[in-house]
Amino acid sequence: MVNAFIRVTDREKKKQKGRQNSNRDFSLDLTVVFPYIAIFMLFFSTGDGIEGLRKWILFAEASTAGGGGGGGFWSYYSVVSPSGIAIAVTAMAGIALAATIVYSRRGSLKSPWALRKRKYALQPKQWKSLFTPDGKLGDGGVKFLKKVRSGVFTPTNCDVCMLNRYDLNSSKEERDSIRRQKRKEFERLRKRCRQILKRVENSSTVKETAGNNCNEDSEDLSQVVDSSGLEDVDSGRRSTEGESPMVDDSENSSKVKETAGNNCNEDSEDLSQVVDSSGLEDVVSGRRSTKGESPMVDDSDRPPRGQSHQTLVSSDSDSEGGIDKSEITCEDNSPGETESSGSDTSDEDENIPLFASEITEENNIDKDDNSSASRIKSRSKSHADEDFATWQRIIRVDAVRANDEWIAYSSTQALVSEMKAYQLAESVGLKEYDHLEPCRIYHAARLVAILEAYTLYDPEIGYCQGMSDLLSPIISVVEDDSEAFWCFAGFMKKARHNFRLDEVGIRRQLNIVSKIIKCKDSHLYRHLEELQAEDCFFVYRMVVVLFRRELSFEQTLCLWEVVWADQAAIRAGITKTSWGRMRLRAPPTDDLLLYAIAACVLQRRKLIIEMYSSMDEIMRECHSMAGRLDVWKLLDDAHGLVVNLHDKI
Amino acid sequence: MAAYRADDDYDYLFKVVLIGDSGVGKSNLLSRFTRNEFSLESKSTIGVEFATRSIRVDDKVVKAQIWDTAGQERYRAITSAYYRGAVGALLVYDVTRHVTFENVERWLKELRGHTDSNIVIMLVGNKADLRHLRAVSTDDAKAFAERENTFFMETSALESMNVENAFTEVLTQIHHVVSRKALEVGDDPAALPKGRTINVGSKDDVSAVKNAGCCSA
Repeated sequence: MVNAFIRVTDREKKKQKGRQNSNRDFSLDLTVVFPYIAIFMLFFSTGDGIEGLRKWILFAEASTAGGGGGGGFWSYYSVVSPSGIAIAVTAMAGIALAATIVYSRRGSLKSPWALRKRKYALQPKQWKSLFTPDGKLGDGGVKFLKKVRSGVFTPTNCDVCMLNRYDLNSSKEERDSIRRQKRKEFERLRKRCRQILKRVENSSTVKETAGNNCNEDSEDLSQVVDSSGLEDVDSGRRSTEGESPMVDDSENSSKVKETAGNNCNEDSEDLSQVVDSSGLEDVVSGRRSTKGESPMVDDSDRPPRGQSHQTLVSSDSDSEGGIDKSEITCEDNSPGETESSGSDTSDEDENIPLFASEITEENNIDKDDNSSASRIKSRSKSHADEDFATWQRIIRVDAVRANDEWIAYSSTQALVSEMKAYQLAESVGLKEYDHLEPCRIYHAARLVAILEAYTLYDPEIGYCQGMSDLLSPIISVVEDDSEAFWCFAGFMKKARHNFRLDEVGIRRQLNIVSKIIKCKDSHLYRHLEELQAEDCFFVYRMVVVLFRRELSFEQTLCLWEVVWADQAAIRAGITKTSWGRMRLRAPPTDDLLLYAIAACVLQRRKLIIEMYSSMDEIMRECHSMAGRLDVWKLLDDAHGLVVNLHDKI
Repeated sequence: MAAYRADDDYDYLFKVVLIGDSGVGKSNLLSRFTRNEFSLESKSTIGVEFATRSIRVDDKVVKAQIWDTAGQERYRAITSAYYRGAVGALLVYDVTRHVTFENVERWLKELRGHTDSNIVIMLVGNKADLRHLRAVSTDDAKAFAERENTFFMETSALESMNVENAFTEVLTQIHHVVSRKALEVGDDPAALPKGRTINVGSKDDVSAVKNAGCCSA
């Protein structure tokens, strides 16, 4: 087993090859004689300030003979290989050459922010030196994060989206194990999606006409989706909050489940059974929904990381401890909720430790947060209003209207055959794509597959419009569905709060933007107050889709990566370390995105103060920023704000 | 088509909201009306967006500030905040997706819960160009509209069918209501700020107007 990094040199390639070449013509690319490697563990992206290059480096695994010794090494590749088959040995041999070619070419490239000088790239050797022989990042990833955070292009510029999945201290072996396990989990989620889809399709006529008129029908479905196998979770949450409404809610939902057949037509019952039937995944999704209950959980302790870490590391005694803990927690507060958990227990053993710890962590956070009541409300409300069938419909609506910006950045997917695209579309039940070309059908179908799986994984949030905007860039660079899913799930751990029905997450974010503006520019803030716009609702969209609508595909990835790096640093507890050498000395913050949003408002302070006399006008200004933002200036300004204000916010 | 006019040259400003399920074509109705544009790939609306256009109604220049709202339930709390002050609403469903028509009732409830009871509402069946996929009959929708005292029209943003008519009709009816109300009160309608404080009259007014002006494709 050999680990390798795959670097996607999208933009570079495009530029070098010239636009006269079609996007689909990749086979001649000189830089890429290297294997395209199957499964990546971490994907790294980098932004080169000088050329505006976007490099996504995928931490990939190449399974080959002979690669096993030495516990794995890290290398990186330009990914554009047409072959799609990994041969690590070749790859190793080619590293130096690839690097040379890539780097020498970069010098001649231009980009909108070409004038902004950025640091030079790390050489592959330096990159490799960040890792210990067993595939761990040295010094807990500090050096590595430093690179990413400063937006410097280096091969070590790790994509933090993937870092969400893995502990910075994880070894290659641990990551391998997690990957295998997570793949199975994803496949189970997909299986459930297909089962549900089948049921829905079979009963589509009923569904179509009954639709939301028969609310019990859809409610049952969603409630059952949520409640099946979630006993532990619900109980966990309840124990957290210690409030009876929750109990009532859950009990109701299980009652509904039991009596679904009486109240509703058959298909809902069938659906619930389908959903109900899978034990382990339910637990997983349940865990997730629990997790999500706490608005401030953010990324300080993300399940995938914690989970993988614990699953890997935990010895038997750890597990037992975990089980005990979780059971105790459940029993304390959730009598009558254990009926089905008993049967599942054996299957869940490996997950339970994580479970317990998460619940415990959450308890604390929840108590601090004090918003459990509203959460409960939102939960029951969301279930009344939305359901899996609705999500399925909206996901498909959104999937087919995803734009095609990604095509230039994802060669192999751009080249997908018509047959493959249609097959995938059919397998996920995607129709109404007549106006799309095969690669976009394929893209849409992948969006559907992953988003749908996510609704089962995180039923409290389900699907919310805007999520397809967030996923599209990820699946463009991550070609494997399972990997992309877990990337997305990691990403969503923080982003999901923006989509909560009770708006706690989004309001908190807007509030921070408002605070930043207030601290930085009291004049502007007063003006906003006069317009009754100090709540900063005009940046709502920016917060929800993280600038995706304002920035180009490439710029978005630049920004997200730096934002993720900050969050990863926080998660890893690398806050106190000396960041002194970093540009601007900005300490990492969980809210870099919000600083960036405030920065782009502040960049327009004069216009806003002098020209705008209503919130509407400011909103229009914010909505028309697309194509007018310089992502590096934005990050510089944001870092500047962080330096000045981080201890005041 | 009425001429597009300068933004600040108007007699009335009316706030109108576009509501309805996700993917029924609200954003395209808006872009068709305000910019004469249509896109199959228009992205989902996150929160709210708005656009304006001024048209001439009964010798007055009416500036319509049209708020396009996210269709998904999840955004309802945010979007409903923007209902405030609306004097007109286009409640859009997709004639090819029956479920979007079924949800009209909930939208109506939502709308009436957040706005003045005299708001001028038009039920709009969009995507009428997709004749072979039609799932909601015109008669059903018309009957519903009559029952609910709303106007009704079928449109196609793609083919630009009835879009102009639908908006113009709503704006005209708002103007009628406002004028009548103004006469009754003896107010100077031109002095009313931003449309937000306009009282569009009693329920009877709207009903009367409605009876005179219901039309369909």
